[in-house]
Amino acid sequence: MIQFSAVAKRYPGGQEALRGVTCEVASGEMVAVTGHSGAGKSTLLKLAAGIERASTGTVVIQGQNLGALGETALAILRRRIGFVFQDHKLLFDRNAYDNVALPLRVAGFARDEIGRRVRAALDKVGLLAREKAMPVALSGGEQQRLCIARAIVNRPAILIADEPTGNLDAEYARAILELFQSFHRVGVTVILSTHDESVIQRLGCRRIALAAGTLAA
Amino acid sequence: MSWLRLQGHALGEAMRRISAQPVASAFSILVLAIAIALPVLAAVVLQSVGAIASSLETDPHVNVYLALDASGDDAKRVGEALRASPDAYSVQFVPRAKALEQLKATTHLADVIDSLQGNPLPDAYIVRVRAEDSNRIAAAREAWAKLPKVDQVAADFEWARRLGNWIRFGRRLLTAIALALGISVAFIAGHLIRLQALAHREEIEVSQLIGATAADVRRPFLYHGLLQGALAGGLAVGLGAIAAVWLGAELRALTPEYASELKIVSLDLTWSLGVVGLAAGLGLAGAWWAVARELRQFSPSR
Repeated sequence: MIQFSAVAKRYPGGQEALRGVTCEVASGEMVAVTGHSGAGKSTLLKLAAGIERASTGTVVIQGQNLGALGETALAILRRRIGFVFQDHKLLFDRNAYDNVALPLRVAGFARDEIGRRVRAALDKVGLLAREKAMPVALSGGEQQRLCIARAIVNRPAILIADEPTGNLDAEYARAILELFQSFHRVGVTVILSTHDESVIQRLGCRRIALAAGTLAA
Repeated sequence: MSWLRLQGHALGEAMRRISAQPVASAFSILVLAIAIALPVLAAVVLQSVGAIASSLETDPHVNVYLALDASGDDAKRVGEALRASPDAYSVQFVPRAKALEQLKATTHLADVIDSLQGNPLPDAYIVRVRAEDSNRIAAAREAWAKLPKVDQVAADFEWARRLGNWIRFGRRLLTAIALALGISVAFIAGHLIRLQALAHREEIEVSQLIGATAADVRRPFLYHGLLQGALAGGLAVGLGAIAAVWLGAELRALTPEYASELKIVSLDLTWSLGVVGLAAGLGLAGAWWAVARELRQFSPSR
Protein backbone atom coordinates (compact mmCIF):
# COMPACT_ATOMS: atom_id res chain seq x y z
CA MET A 1 0.00 0.00 0.00
CA ILE A 2 2.74 2.47 0.96
CA GLN A 3 6.34 1.79 -0.05
CA PHE A 4 9.44 3.85 0.72
CA SER A 5 12.66 3.00 -1.09
CA ALA A 6 15.90 4.74 -0.20
CA VAL A 7 14.00 7.88 0.68
CA ALA A 8 15.83 11.01 1.78
CA LYS A 9 14.35 14.40 2.60
CA ARG A 10 16.35 17.56 2.89
CA TYR A 11 14.68 20.83 3.78
CA PRO A 12 15.83 24.13 2.34
CA GLY A 13 18.76 25.25 4.43
CA GLY A 14 20.39 21.83 4.31
CA GLN A 15 18.70 20.19 7.27
CA GLU A 16 18.38 16.48 6.49
CA ALA A 17 15.27 15.04 8.12
CA LEU A 18 15.41 11.53 6.61
CA ARG A 19 18.01 9.51 4.73
CA GLY A 20 18.10 6.04 3.25
CA VAL A 21 14.69 5.01 4.56
CA THR A 22 13.26 1.83 3.01
CA CYS A 23 10.09 0.42 4.52
CA GLU A 24 6.59 -0.67 3.67
CA VAL A 25 3.11 -0.52 5.19
CA ALA A 26 0.69 -3.21 4.00
CA SER A 27 -2.96 -2.61 3.21
CA GLY A 28 -5.11 -2.77 6.33
CA GLU A 29 -2.11 -2.73 8.63
CA MET A 30 -1.72 -0.61 11.74
CA VAL A 31 1.77 0.79 12.31
CA ALA A 32 3.32 3.05 14.90
CA VAL A 33 6.22 5.29 13.88
CA THR A 34 8.38 5.88 16.94
CA GLY A 35 11.44 7.88 17.84
CA HIS A 36 12.55 10.90 19.79
CA SER A 37 11.44 14.32 18.69
CA GLY A 38 13.52 15.34 15.69
CA ALA A 39 13.97 11.72 14.58
CA GLY A 40 12.00 12.37 11.38
CA LYS A 41 8.58 10.96 12.36
CA SER A 42 6.57 13.93 11.08
CA THR A 43 8.55 14.05 7.84
CA LEU A 44 7.94 10.34 7.21
CA LEU A 45 4.19 10.81 7.75
CA LYS A 46 4.02 13.88 5.48
CA LEU A 47 5.83 11.97 2.74
CA ALA A 48 3.42 9.04 3.20
CA ALA A 49 0.46 11.42 2.79
CA GLY A 50 1.77 13.23 -0.30
CA ILE A 51 2.00 16.50 1.63
CA GLU A 52 5.73 16.70 0.93
CA ARG A 53 7.91 15.23 -1.79
CA ALA A 54 11.03 13.14 -1.21
CA SER A 55 14.35 14.75 -2.17
CA THR A 56 15.68 11.42 -3.41
CA GLY A 57 14.30 7.88 -3.48
CA THR A 58 10.73 6.89 -4.31
CA VAL A 59 7.48 6.91 -2.39
CA VAL A 60 4.70 4.74 -3.85
CA ILE A 61 1.15 5.04 -2.52
CA GLN A 62 -1.49 2.59 -3.76
CA GLY A 63 0.67 1.83 -6.78
CA GLN A 64 1.27 5.49 -7.68
CA ASN A 65 4.80 6.84 -7.68
CA LEU A 66 4.47 10.27 -6.09
CA GLY A 67 7.60 11.56 -7.82
CA ALA A 68 5.89 11.10 -11.17
CA LEU A 69 2.71 12.94 -10.20
CA GLY A 70 2.11 16.61 -11.02
CA GLU A 71 0.87 19.08 -8.40
CA THR A 72 -2.79 18.60 -9.31
CA ALA A 73 -2.64 14.80 -9.35
CA LEU A 74 -0.81 14.88 -6.02
CA ALA A 75 -3.50 17.11 -4.52
CA ILE A 76 -6.21 14.74 -5.69
CA LEU A 77 -4.31 11.78 -4.23
CA ARG A 78 -4.22 13.60 -0.86
CA ARG A 79 -8.03 13.46 -0.81
CA ARG A 80 -7.85 9.67 -0.44
CA ILE A 81 -5.70 9.93 2.69
CA GLY A 82 -6.97 11.17 6.06
CA PHE A 83 -4.39 13.17 8.01
CA VAL A 84 -4.62 14.16 11.67
CA PHE A 85 -2.23 17.07 12.16
CA GLN A 86 -0.18 17.47 15.29
CA ASP A 87 -1.29 21.09 15.54
CA HIS A 88 -4.83 20.18 14.37
CA LYS A 89 -4.94 22.85 11.63
CA LEU A 90 -8.56 23.67 12.39
CA LEU A 91 -10.08 26.86 10.99
CA PHE A 92 -11.09 29.03 13.91
CA ASP A 93 -13.45 31.26 11.95
CA ARG A 94 -15.98 28.49 11.34
CA ASN A 95 -17.84 25.97 13.44
CA ALA A 96 -17.21 22.26 13.94
CA TYR A 97 -19.58 21.26 11.17
CA ASP A 98 -17.94 23.51 8.56
CA ASN A 99 -14.45 22.39 9.58
CA VAL A 100 -15.36 18.77 8.98
CA ALA A 101 -17.20 19.62 5.75
CA LEU A 102 -14.13 21.28 4.19
CA PRO A 103 -12.67 18.18 2.45
CA LEU A 104 -16.08 17.34 0.96
CA ARG A 105 -16.60 20.89 -0.30
CA VAL A 106 -13.15 20.79 -1.89
CA ALA A 107 -14.07 17.52 -3.60
CA GLY A 108 -17.36 18.97 -4.87
CA PHE A 109 -19.88 16.82 -2.98
CA ALA A 110 -23.60 17.69 -3.01
CA ARG A 111 -25.01 19.51 0.02
CA ASP A 112 -27.17 16.55 1.18
CA GLU A 113 -24.30 14.13 0.91
CA ILE A 114 -22.05 16.55 2.83
CA GLY A 115 -24.63 16.78 5.61
CA ARG A 116 -24.93 13.00 5.92
CA ARG A 117 -21.21 12.35 5.92
CA VAL A 118 -20.29 15.21 8.27
CA ARG A 119 -22.85 14.09 10.85
CA ALA A 120 -21.71 10.47 10.54
CA ALA A 121 -18.10 11.55 11.14
CA LEU A 122 -19.00 13.82 14.05
CA ASP A 123 -21.08 10.99 15.55
CA LYS A 124 -18.15 8.62 15.19
CA VAL A 125 -15.89 10.87 17.30
CA GLY A 126 -18.66 11.75 19.77
CA LEU A 127 -19.08 15.41 18.76
CA LEU A 128 -22.48 15.27 17.07
CA ALA A 129 -24.00 17.50 19.76
CA ARG A 130 -21.26 20.13 19.24
CA GLU A 131 -21.59 20.64 15.47
CA LYS A 132 -22.38 24.34 15.91
CA ALA A 133 -19.55 24.95 18.38
CA MET A 134 -16.59 27.06 17.30
CA PRO A 135 -13.17 25.39 17.73
CA VAL A 136 -12.14 27.84 20.49
CA ALA A 137 -15.06 26.59 22.56
CA LEU A 138 -13.77 23.02 22.36
CA SER A 139 -11.30 21.39 24.77
CA GLY A 140 -7.94 20.08 23.55
CA GLY A 141 -9.30 16.54 23.35
CA GLU A 142 -12.40 17.70 21.49
CA GLN A 143 -10.27 19.64 19.01
CA GLN A 144 -8.22 16.48 18.45
CA ARG A 145 -11.41 14.50 17.79
CA LEU A 146 -12.70 17.22 15.45
CA CYS A 147 -9.49 16.91 13.48
CA ILE A 148 -10.01 13.12 13.33
CA ALA A 149 -13.59 13.64 12.11
CA ARG A 150 -12.27 15.85 9.29
CA ALA A 151 -9.67 13.20 8.42
CA ILE A 152 -12.24 10.38 8.13
CA VAL A 153 -15.14 12.28 6.54
CA ASN A 154 -13.90 11.36 3.04
CA ARG A 155 -13.84 7.66 4.10
CA PRO A 156 -10.14 7.27 3.28
CA ALA A 157 -8.42 3.92 2.93
CA ILE A 158 -5.38 5.36 4.73
CA LEU A 159 -5.49 7.28 8.00
CA ILE A 160 -2.34 8.97 9.23
CA ALA A 161 -2.02 10.70 12.61
CA ASP A 162 0.94 12.75 13.83
CA GLU A 163 1.30 12.41 17.65
CA PRO A 164 -2.46 12.10 18.17
CA THR A 165 -2.09 11.59 21.92
CA GLY A 166 0.66 14.16 22.36
CA ASN A 167 -0.91 16.73 24.64
CA LEU A 168 -3.75 14.68 26.05
CA ASP A 169 -4.13 13.25 29.53
CA ALA A 170 -4.29 9.45 29.90
CA GLU A 171 -8.08 9.23 29.87
CA TYR A 172 -8.46 11.22 26.61
CA ALA A 173 -5.48 9.43 25.04
CA ARG A 174 -7.04 6.02 25.63
CA ALA A 175 -10.31 7.10 24.00
CA ILE A 176 -8.46 8.45 20.95
CA LEU A 177 -6.42 5.26 20.56
CA GLU A 178 -9.59 3.16 20.80
CA LEU A 179 -11.01 5.28 18.00
CA PHE A 180 -8.00 4.50 15.77
CA GLN A 181 -8.28 0.81 16.64
CA SER A 182 -11.92 0.84 15.59
CA PHE A 183 -10.94 2.28 12.17
CA HIS A 184 -8.23 -0.38 11.87
CA ARG A 185 -10.80 -3.11 12.63
CA VAL A 186 -12.94 -2.06 9.65
CA GLY A 187 -9.98 -2.33 7.28
CA VAL A 188 -8.46 1.15 7.24
CA THR A 189 -4.66 1.33 7.03
CA VAL A 190 -3.60 3.32 10.10
CA ILE A 191 -0.20 4.94 10.61
CA LEU A 192 0.43 7.00 13.72
CA SER A 193 3.51 8.50 15.27
CA THR A 194 4.30 8.64 18.95
CA HIS A 195 7.21 8.99 21.32
CA ASP A 196 5.23 7.33 24.11
CA GLU A 197 6.12 3.66 24.86
CA SER A 198 2.80 3.06 26.66
CA VAL A 199 0.90 3.93 23.48
CA ILE A 200 2.77 1.29 21.48
CA GLN A 201 2.25 -1.29 24.18
CA ARG A 202 -1.44 -0.53 24.31
CA LEU A 203 -1.83 -0.78 20.54
CA GLY A 204 0.33 -3.91 20.28
CA CYS A 205 1.10 -3.16 16.62
CA ARG A 206 4.23 -3.22 14.44
CA ARG A 207 6.55 -0.31 14.84
CA ILE A 208 8.83 1.61 12.51
CA ALA A 209 11.54 3.03 14.73
CA LEU A 210 13.43 6.13 13.60
CA ALA A 211 16.60 7.58 15.06
CA ALA A 212 18.21 10.73 13.66
CA GLY A 213 16.51 10.32 10.28
CA THR A 214 17.33 6.68 9.64
CA LEU A 215 15.62 3.40 10.49
CA ALA A 216 16.70 2.08 13.89
CA ALA A 217 17.23 -1.63 14.31
CA MET B 1 -22.37 17.64 -12.29
CA SER B 2 -19.47 17.84 -9.87
CA TRP B 3 -17.88 20.55 -12.01
CA LEU B 4 -21.05 22.61 -11.92
CA ARG B 5 -21.29 22.12 -8.16
CA LEU B 6 -17.70 23.30 -7.68
CA GLN B 7 -18.52 26.47 -9.66
CA GLY B 8 -21.66 26.94 -7.57
CA HIS B 9 -19.72 26.49 -4.31
CA ALA B 10 -17.09 28.98 -5.46
CA LEU B 11 -19.68 31.57 -6.56
CA GLY B 12 -21.55 31.15 -3.26
CA GLU B 13 -18.30 31.52 -1.33
CA ALA B 14 -17.39 34.66 -3.30
CA MET B 15 -20.80 36.23 -2.57
CA ARG B 16 -20.47 35.24 1.08
CA ARG B 17 -17.09 36.97 1.28
CA ILE B 18 -18.42 40.15 -0.36
CA SER B 19 -21.46 40.32 1.92
CA ALA B 20 -19.47 39.37 5.02
CA GLN B 21 -17.68 42.74 4.85
CA PRO B 22 -20.30 45.05 3.33
CA VAL B 23 -18.51 48.35 4.06
CA ALA B 24 -15.08 47.21 2.89
CA SER B 25 -16.60 45.63 -0.22
CA ALA B 26 -18.60 48.78 -1.02
CA PHE B 27 -15.47 50.94 -0.75
CA SER B 28 -13.48 48.55 -2.93
CA ILE B 29 -16.18 48.61 -5.60
CA LEU B 30 -16.51 52.41 -5.37
CA VAL B 31 -12.75 52.93 -5.82
CA LEU B 32 -12.77 50.69 -8.90
CA ALA B 33 -15.95 52.33 -10.23
CA ILE B 34 -14.41 55.83 -10.06
CA ALA B 35 -11.31 54.64 -11.92
CA ILE B 36 -13.54 53.11 -14.60
CA ALA B 37 -15.96 56.06 -14.71
CA LEU B 38 -13.26 58.57 -15.76
CA PRO B 39 -12.58 57.10 -19.21
CA VAL B 40 -16.29 56.30 -19.57
CA LEU B 41 -17.14 59.96 -19.04
CA ALA B 42 -14.38 61.06 -21.42
CA ALA B 43 -15.81 58.66 -24.01
CA VAL B 44 -19.27 60.19 -23.54
CA VAL B 45 -17.92 63.70 -24.14
CA LEU B 46 -15.93 62.62 -27.20
CA GLN B 47 -18.92 60.77 -28.62
CA SER B 48 -21.03 63.90 -28.18
CA VAL B 49 -18.52 66.16 -29.92
CA GLY B 50 -18.00 63.49 -32.57
CA ALA B 51 -21.71 63.46 -33.31
CA ILE B 52 -21.63 67.19 -34.10
CA ALA B 53 -18.47 66.94 -36.15
CA SER B 54 -19.81 64.16 -38.33
CA SER B 55 -22.72 66.41 -39.34
CA LEU B 56 -20.31 69.11 -40.58
CA GLU B 57 -18.95 69.37 -44.14
CA THR B 58 -15.33 68.40 -44.26
CA ASP B 59 -15.07 68.04 -48.06
CA PRO B 60 -12.74 70.68 -49.42
CA HIS B 61 -15.05 73.41 -50.65
CA VAL B 62 -15.14 77.15 -50.85
CA ASN B 63 -18.17 79.42 -50.63
CA VAL B 64 -18.06 82.40 -52.94
CA TYR B 65 -20.52 85.13 -51.82
CA LEU B 66 -21.50 87.81 -54.30
CA ALA B 67 -22.19 91.42 -53.44
CA LEU B 68 -25.82 92.18 -52.53
CA ASP B 69 -26.20 94.46 -55.56
CA ALA B 70 -24.95 91.82 -58.04
CA SER B 71 -27.32 91.29 -60.94
CA GLY B 72 -28.23 87.99 -62.62
CA ASP B 73 -25.72 88.72 -65.39
CA ASP B 74 -23.00 89.46 -62.84
CA ALA B 75 -23.72 86.11 -61.19
CA LYS B 76 -23.57 84.33 -64.51
CA ARG B 77 -20.18 85.90 -65.33
CA VAL B 78 -18.75 84.91 -61.95
CA GLY B 79 -20.07 81.35 -62.46
CA GLU B 80 -18.38 81.12 -65.87
CA ALA B 81 -15.10 82.39 -64.42
CA LEU B 82 -15.27 79.84 -61.59
CA ARG B 83 -16.04 76.94 -63.95
CA ALA B 84 -13.13 77.98 -66.14
CA SER B 85 -10.74 77.86 -63.17
CA PRO B 86 -8.53 74.72 -63.16
CA ASP B 87 -8.91 74.45 -59.33
CA ALA B 88 -12.71 74.12 -59.37
CA TYR B 89 -14.01 70.55 -59.49
CA SER B 90 -17.72 71.40 -59.45
CA VAL B 91 -19.62 74.62 -59.10
CA GLN B 92 -23.10 74.88 -57.61
CA PHE B 93 -25.15 78.07 -57.66
CA VAL B 94 -27.25 78.91 -54.57
CA PRO B 95 -29.65 81.78 -55.37
CA ARG B 96 -30.31 84.19 -52.47
CA ALA B 97 -34.01 83.23 -52.26
CA LYS B 98 -33.18 79.56 -51.85
CA ALA B 99 -30.56 80.36 -49.21
CA LEU B 100 -33.19 82.25 -47.20
CA GLU B 101 -35.60 79.31 -47.43
CA GLN B 102 -32.93 76.96 -46.20
CA LEU B 103 -32.10 79.23 -43.30
CA LYS B 104 -35.77 79.31 -42.31
CA ALA B 105 -36.08 75.53 -42.51
CA THR B 106 -32.97 74.58 -40.57
CA THR B 107 -32.98 77.13 -37.74
CA HIS B 108 -35.52 78.61 -35.37
CA LEU B 109 -35.10 82.04 -36.88
CA ALA B 110 -38.21 82.00 -39.10
CA ASP B 111 -39.97 84.73 -37.06
CA VAL B 112 -36.90 86.96 -37.12
CA ILE B 113 -36.47 86.48 -40.87
CA ASP B 114 -40.14 87.21 -41.55
CA SER B 115 -39.84 90.49 -39.68
CA LEU B 116 -37.01 91.65 -41.98
CA GLN B 117 -37.68 94.08 -44.82
CA GLY B 118 -35.81 92.26 -47.55
CA ASN B 119 -33.55 89.28 -48.05
CA PRO B 120 -30.23 89.97 -46.30
CA LEU B 121 -28.50 87.02 -48.00
CA PRO B 122 -26.44 87.29 -51.17
CA ASP B 123 -26.28 84.90 -54.11
CA ALA B 124 -23.52 82.36 -53.62
CA TYR B 125 -21.54 79.65 -55.32
CA ILE B 126 -20.40 76.46 -53.59
CA VAL B 127 -17.19 75.43 -55.30
CA ARG B 128 -15.75 71.97 -54.62
CA VAL B 129 -12.04 72.26 -55.13
CA ARG B 130 -9.76 69.70 -56.69
CA ALA B 131 -6.75 70.36 -54.51
CA GLU B 132 -6.23 69.12 -50.95
CA ASP B 133 -3.18 71.37 -50.61
CA SER B 134 -4.11 74.39 -48.51
CA ASN B 135 -1.62 76.69 -50.31
CA ARG B 136 -3.27 76.07 -53.68
CA ILE B 137 -6.70 76.54 -52.15
CA ALA B 138 -5.56 79.82 -50.60
CA ALA B 139 -4.21 80.98 -53.99
CA ALA B 140 -7.52 80.08 -55.69
CA ARG B 141 -9.47 81.92 -52.96
CA GLU B 142 -7.38 85.02 -53.51
CA ALA B 143 -7.92 84.89 -57.28
CA TRP B 144 -11.69 84.35 -56.91
CA ALA B 145 -12.02 87.18 -54.39
CA LYS B 146 -10.76 89.56 -57.12
CA LEU B 147 -13.55 88.64 -59.57
CA PRO B 148 -15.95 91.56 -60.12
CA LYS B 149 -18.99 91.64 -57.76
CA VAL B 150 -17.54 88.96 -55.46
CA ASP B 151 -17.84 90.13 -51.87
CA GLN B 152 -16.32 87.31 -49.84
CA VAL B 153 -14.69 83.92 -50.28
CA ALA B 154 -14.96 81.63 -47.24
CA ALA B 155 -13.47 78.22 -46.62
CA ASP B 156 -15.60 76.98 -43.72
CA PHE B 157 -14.54 73.40 -44.14
CA GLU B 158 -11.10 74.19 -42.73
CA TRP B 159 -12.21 74.65 -39.15
CA ALA B 160 -14.50 71.61 -39.43
CA ARG B 161 -11.48 69.68 -40.55
CA ARG B 162 -9.43 70.99 -37.67
CA LEU B 163 -12.21 69.92 -35.29
CA GLY B 164 -12.14 66.46 -36.88
CA ASN B 165 -8.39 66.29 -36.32
CA TRP B 166 -8.82 67.33 -32.70
CA ILE B 167 -11.47 64.63 -32.24
CA ARG B 168 -9.17 62.00 -33.73
CA PHE B 169 -6.44 63.21 -31.40
CA GLY B 170 -8.92 63.07 -28.51
CA ARG B 171 -9.86 59.48 -29.38
CA ARG B 172 -6.23 58.47 -29.37
CA LEU B 173 -5.66 60.24 -26.05
CA LEU B 174 -8.76 58.55 -24.65
CA THR B 175 -7.48 55.15 -25.77
CA ALA B 176 -4.18 55.79 -24.01
CA ILE B 177 -5.90 56.98 -20.82
CA ALA B 178 -8.36 54.07 -20.91
CA LEU B 179 -5.47 51.63 -21.35
CA ALA B 180 -3.51 53.13 -18.44
CA LEU B 181 -6.56 53.25 -16.18
CA GLY B 182 -7.55 49.74 -17.28
CA ILE B 183 -4.18 48.39 -16.21
CA SER B 184 -4.40 50.25 -12.92
CA VAL B 185 -7.94 48.91 -12.40
CA ALA B 186 -6.61 45.36 -12.89
CA PHE B 187 -3.85 46.03 -10.34
CA ILE B 188 -6.19 47.67 -7.82
CA ALA B 189 -8.63 44.77 -8.22
CA GLY B 190 -5.76 42.30 -7.88
CA HIS B 191 -4.48 44.04 -4.78
CA LEU B 192 -7.92 43.96 -3.17
CA ILE B 193 -8.17 40.22 -3.92
CA ARG B 194 -4.66 39.75 -2.54
CA LEU B 195 -5.80 41.24 0.76
CA GLN B 196 -8.62 38.69 0.70
CA ALA B 197 -6.17 35.89 -0.02
CA LEU B 198 -4.02 36.99 2.92
CA ALA B 199 -7.09 37.06 5.15
CA HIS B 200 -7.87 33.48 4.05
CA ARG B 201 -4.29 32.29 4.30
CA GLU B 202 -5.00 29.56 6.86
CA GLU B 203 -7.98 28.31 4.90
CA ILE B 204 -5.88 28.13 1.73
CA GLU B 205 -3.12 26.24 3.55
CA VAL B 206 -5.49 23.75 5.19
CA SER B 207 -7.45 23.25 1.96
CA GLN B 208 -4.26 22.44 0.10
CA LEU B 209 -3.19 20.02 2.83
CA ILE B 210 -6.43 18.09 2.53
CA GLY B 211 -6.36 17.89 -1.25
CA ALA B 212 -7.42 21.18 -2.83
CA THR B 213 -5.72 21.78 -6.18
CA ALA B 214 -4.43 25.19 -7.25
CA ALA B 215 -7.61 25.56 -9.33
CA ASP B 216 -9.77 24.78 -6.28
CA VAL B 217 -8.01 27.46 -4.24
CA ARG B 218 -8.16 29.99 -7.06
CA ARG B 219 -11.82 29.49 -7.97
CA PRO B 220 -13.63 31.50 -5.27
CA PHE B 221 -11.11 34.33 -5.60
CA LEU B 222 -11.67 34.46 -9.37
CA TYR B 223 -15.42 34.69 -8.84
CA HIS B 224 -14.81 37.36 -6.24
CA GLY B 225 -12.70 39.36 -8.70
CA LEU B 226 -15.24 38.85 -11.47
CA LEU B 227 -18.19 39.97 -9.32
CA GLN B 228 -16.26 42.91 -7.89
CA GLY B 229 -15.28 44.04 -11.38
CA ALA B 230 -18.77 43.63 -12.83
CA LEU B 231 -20.37 45.54 -9.94
CA ALA B 232 -17.77 48.31 -10.29
CA GLY B 233 -18.39 48.43 -14.05
CA GLY B 234 -22.15 48.72 -13.51
CA LEU B 235 -21.62 51.48 -10.96
CA ALA B 236 -19.23 53.28 -13.34
CA VAL B 237 -21.84 53.23 -16.13
CA GLY B 238 -24.37 54.59 -13.64
CA LEU B 239 -21.99 57.35 -12.52
CA GLY B 240 -21.22 58.14 -16.18
CA ALA B 241 -24.94 58.40 -16.99
CA ILE B 242 -25.62 60.68 -14.02
CA ALA B 243 -22.66 62.89 -14.95
CA ALA B 244 -23.83 62.99 -18.59
CA VAL B 245 -27.34 64.11 -17.59
CA TRP B 246 -25.93 66.71 -15.21
CA LEU B 247 -23.45 68.05 -17.78
CA GLY B 248 -26.14 67.93 -20.47
CA ALA B 249 -28.39 70.21 -18.42
CA GLU B 250 -25.53 72.70 -17.91
CA LEU B 251 -24.69 72.58 -21.60
CA ARG B 252 -28.28 73.33 -22.63
CA ALA B 253 -28.28 76.34 -20.32
CA LEU B 254 -24.99 77.56 -21.82
CA THR B 255 -25.64 77.12 -25.54
CA PRO B 256 -27.97 79.38 -27.51
CA GLU B 257 -31.11 77.89 -28.95
CA TYR B 258 -29.92 77.68 -32.56
CA ALA B 259 -27.08 75.31 -31.56
CA SER B 260 -29.60 72.60 -30.81
CA GLU B 261 -27.44 69.83 -32.24
CA LEU B 262 -24.98 70.29 -29.36
CA LYS B 263 -26.10 67.79 -26.71
CA ILE B 264 -24.59 65.05 -24.56
CA VAL B 265 -24.97 61.59 -26.07
CA SER B 266 -25.52 58.92 -23.43
CA LEU B 267 -23.94 55.47 -23.53
CA ASP B 268 -26.16 52.96 -25.28
CA LEU B 269 -26.83 49.41 -24.03
CA THR B 270 -24.08 47.74 -26.07
CA TRP B 271 -21.55 50.22 -24.79
CA SER B 272 -22.74 49.84 -21.18
CA LEU B 273 -22.60 46.04 -21.35
CA GLY B 274 -19.16 46.35 -22.92
CA VAL B 275 -17.93 48.47 -20.01
CA VAL B 276 -19.39 46.02 -17.45
CA GLY B 277 -17.88 43.06 -19.30
CA LEU B 278 -14.49 44.72 -19.61
CA ALA B 279 -14.49 45.66 -15.91
CA ALA B 280 -15.42 42.08 -14.98
CA GLY B 281 -12.57 40.82 -17.18
CA LEU B 282 -10.11 43.21 -15.53
CA GLY B 283 -11.31 42.06 -12.09
CA LEU B 284 -10.80 38.45 -13.12
CA ALA B 285 -7.32 39.15 -14.48
CA GLY B 286 -6.34 41.00 -11.31
CA ALA B 287 -7.61 38.16 -9.12
CA TRP B 288 -5.70 35.59 -11.16
CA TRP B 289 -2.50 37.59 -10.82
CA ALA B 290 -2.98 38.05 -7.06
CA VAL B 291 -3.83 34.44 -6.23
CA ALA B 292 -1.04 33.07 -8.44
CA ARG B 293 1.38 35.09 -6.32
CA GLU B 294 -0.07 33.74 -3.08
CA LEU B 295 -0.18 30.14 -4.32
CA ARG B 296 3.52 30.26 -5.11
CA GLN B 297 4.20 31.30 -1.52
CA PHE B 298 2.49 28.42 0.24
CA SER B 299 2.65 25.33 -1.85
CA PRO B 300 2.66 22.49 0.70
CA SER B 301 4.71 20.05 -1.31
CA ARG B 302 7.92 21.98 -1.31
